[in-house]
Amino acid sequence: MPDLEKLRALAKETISRDDIKCLIGWRPGTYGYRTSPHFVRSPEDADQLIFSPLCSSNLATYLTLAEKRPVPRGAQPDTRKVAILVKGCDSRAVVQQVAEQGIKREAVYVIGCPCEGIIDLRKLEDKYPHTLERVEARWENGKISLDLPGGRAVFPREEIVAGKCLTCRYPNPVIADVTVGEDVEVRGSAGFEDINWLEVKNAQERWAFWRDKVNSCLRCYSCRNVCPMCYCEECILEKQNPAWIQRSVNISENTAFQLARAFHLAGRCIECGECERVCPVEIPLTHLNRKLVKEVSEQFAFTPGVDPEAKPLLVGYRPNDKEDFIL
Amino acid sequence: MSSKPKIGVYICHCGINIAKTVDVEELTRYAVKLPNVRVARDYSYMCSDPGQLMIREDIRKNGLNRVVVASCSPRMHELTFRKALVEAGLNPYYLEIANIREHCSWVHKDKQEATAKAKKLLQAAVAKVRFLEPLQEKEVDVEASALIIGGGIAGIQASLDIANAGFKVYLVEKTPSIGGRMSQLDKTFPTLDCSACILTPKMVDAASHPNITLLTYSQVESITGYVGNFQVKVRKKARYVDFSKCTGCGLCAEECRLADRVKSEFNMGIGNRSAIYLPFPQAVPAKYTVDPHSCLFLTRGKCGKSPKCVEACPAGAVDFEQKDEIVEFKTGTVIVATGFDVFDAARKPEYGYSDYDNVLTGLEMERLISSSGPTGGKLVLGKGDGEYVPKEIAFIKCVGSRDKSTGNEYCSRVCCMYTAKLAHLVKDKLPEANVRIYYMDVRAFGKGFEEFYDRVRREGVRYIRGNPSEIFKRNGKLVIMVEDTLTAKPLEDEVDMVVLAVGLEPRRDAREVIDLLRLSQSSDRFFLEAHPKLAPVDTATEGVYLAGCAQGPKDIPDTVAQAKGAASSALVLLSSGKVKVQAQISWVNEATCRGCGYCVEICPYTAIELVSVNKMGHEVNVARVNEALCKGCGACAAGCLSGSVQQKSFMDSQILPQIAALGGKS
Repeated sequence: MPDLEKLRALAKETISRDDIKCLIGWRPGTYGYRTSPHFVRSPEDADQLIFSPLCSSNLATYLTLAEKRPVPRGAQPDTRKVAILVKGCDSRAVVQQVAEQGIKREAVYVIGCPCEGIIDLRKLEDKYPHTLERVEARWENGKISLDLPGGRAVFPREEIVAGKCLTCRYPNPVIADVTVGEDVEVRGSAGFEDINWLEVKNAQERWAFWRDKVNSCLRCYSCRNVCPMCYCEECILEKQNPAWIQRSVNISENTAFQLARAFHLAGRCIECGECERVCPVEIPLTHLNRKLVKEVSEQFAFTPGVDPEAKPLLVGYRPNDKEDFIL
Repeated sequence: MSSKPKIGVYICHCGINIAKTVDVEELTRYAVKLPNVRVARDYSYMCSDPGQLMIREDIRKNGLNRVVVASCSPRMHELTFRKALVEAGLNPYYLEIANIREHCSWVHKDKQEATAKAKKLLQAAVAKVRFLEPLQEKEVDVEASALIIGGGIAGIQASLDIANAGFKVYLVEKTPSIGGRMSQLDKTFPTLDCSACILTPKMVDAASHPNITLLTYSQVESITGYVGNFQVKVRKKARYVDFSKCTGCGLCAEECRLADRVKSEFNMGIGNRSAIYLPFPQAVPAKYTVDPHSCLFLTRGKCGKSPKCVEACPAGAVDFEQKDEIVEFKTGTVIVATGFDVFDAARKPEYGYSDYDNVLTGLEMERLISSSGPTGGKLVLGKGDGEYVPKEIAFIKCVGSRDKSTGNEYCSRVCCMYTAKLAHLVKDKLPEANVRIYYMDVRAFGKGFEEFYDRVRREGVRYIRGNPSEIFKRNGKLVIMVEDTLTAKPLEDEVDMVVLAVGLEPRRDAREVIDLLRLSQSSDRFFLEAHPKLAPVDTATEGVYLAGCAQGPKDIPDTVAQAKGAASSALVLLSSGKVKVQAQISWVNEATCRGCGYCVEICPYTAIELVSVNKMGHEVNVARVNEALCKGCGACAAGCLSGSVQQKSFMDSQILPQIAALGGKS
């Protein structure tokens, strides 16, 4: 658990640098368990920064979202760096963005925050619904403690963290210019036991499962918007001419939408689980992505988002690549 | 074109190829009703003159601006119909072919179903053709020279043909001398010409030809560019001998401290050479080379007080300061003639090649029996006091060929005949010797081959049909365990010597050549030709041709014939001086491109690069296509996540209506 004072001091020092224009971190949200992204532009802003088990959002998304406003004639674009706080999973997003030239490595200043797991708010809300007062949380000796309105509560980590944190192999940032706090123990295994229950089903059963889930999709595009790997200037899923996917919300278009998204993430998904977290109808998108992560790992021994120098999977060819999937 | 599409549909019977299975009249009646179709006709052979005339007249009279031909594969007649469009004054890329032969009539039996499918295919083509855009074909100049990779008989022959036609040739050979495998052979089947005697004049011709630049002991480092304009970088490895001074006298090799102590590659390790060496007496160029892997001075930095070769050379040619040199030049065309390696007999451990000195490969036998070989052509085994003349000699065929256990399913095509030839030479030198050949089949398919096989049998060579299972040593003799499959009797054959007729394999460093030129391999791992029948010397890369065993096992006549074919193809390009580049190439929408560079990495022709552009004051990268390099394969378009790369004539906006038409009701 990082010392917040140290974190804020580091942030102040960082934002005071001439070559840094903004620092992206987290701050407490407006109520309950919520936290918000926080854009630090001055040393004073840094006082609100936090890092806790409630800081679920993957801030790497904002790196590519930054709008490139037209530069007035005669003026120079602001090419200063953006500093960003990253958990282990978030850092993989940064690495993958660098690997596929979405951002330049020298354009970001990465502040690594080793992470012991993020609280799954759905699990917490099941236990303590409708909490309006701001709640603070912290990691303590492998457990997570919460200052709830009714007093302090302590949970074993496994009981309350998100599913993605239980299988996490990268709790410590894979790249960082500076790190806040000590590295933490890697608890996740390299296996894919978490999707085994779904894989053992036959095709009809799996389709029944997914049909039910996809049928409820509202096509709100939250999963796409929050995904740190979705940053095309014009998303193919929204193109109208030609329209690969119609806007109508029905099982056919919804399925095409989710499948296209999954395929576009093959070999790129860094398993931050943000898509599933933000889905208002709770489609278990992690299962879809984890299946592709598994295929990519087993077929090509490839893990995205760990080496910024590595060629992205889909453009790297090795003569000994498996070909048995070609009919 | 802004004007409304006016489509003509032409349905071919292809004699009865299509008409037998597809109701062409019904298809024509259906076509007229499709949107924007002005006229639909059927005809027995649309590709014939009257068929094409029909299209041209309709374009002129009915003002058609789009044409759909429902016929065979576009690979057959797309060009034919494009020409017809041009003759009628229409852009050739306003044509769409619906393949109702290969995709329909040839693969279906039920006429009703086939007709329904043909309707779908036609409907899809009509849906697409409306969105096609006119394209312009561009031409680029061809650099009037050729690069030949590999200085064996194939490379030499191709070089000579191109040079004789008046074009410049760069012949690059990896080893110190040209000549290749053919120079290692003793006699050639079936005529028993001395291999060296017929080869060396060609080697000398190549070396002295004013149009040929010989780059021996050199390797191609990189080839960039495209048909007509390849930029080539060649590494001339340091020979440590000044080329201009060396007279080839050989005093250096005699004096070398390692004289006769380094295994000779040319003699397949049977004979020895010095660390400074000429690979073989007739080597071209006749210049010495220091082997950097064995030379004491180069490996240890010290050779006595001073290297003896330096002292011995009267011309002062030995120069240990020499460095690798990079030579750069441009060529219009490339011929790959990198040859083959023989199968490593150690991969068939049951034949004891690694264990017994008297188990030899065919190529080793060539050197042993050659009058220019290490024994001066005496067929003796063992060394010094242990020297003996073998009396019982067995050949085993198909070692590493036609053998799935070695991964080589193919027939190496030369082993049957070289075995017969070697058996003949053995009988010639040792008339008393008993020679038998263990075989699976005898394939004597070439001119004069069967006659030669017959002659060898008449000379007393016994052919025993059987594939030996094991060879081991007993009482100083080799014992071959084999079943004679014609009499179904197991045999234990005691012999003095076994020759394994090893097959031909792709060069072990073929991967480097593949990476240089982005060649493909067939399932046998040899380089893949563009078409097994109609383009046997071409590759998928325009301007790059194949010759000799690099493309597949073949004998000398076939190799020379293919080399001449490759030279002729190269000459067509060189003498025309211009080459048309693809019009259906990729195109990048720079507004939506986010510069990820996927397409750059995916492109097999290095036709796309990232360039920095100014987007409203921000310097950003976008992909840009080199129109001369792009072959229109579409890999980039498939790989682009945002759909920013599009292939002309196959744009999303063109193929989606086509796909939608296939999905809808007809």
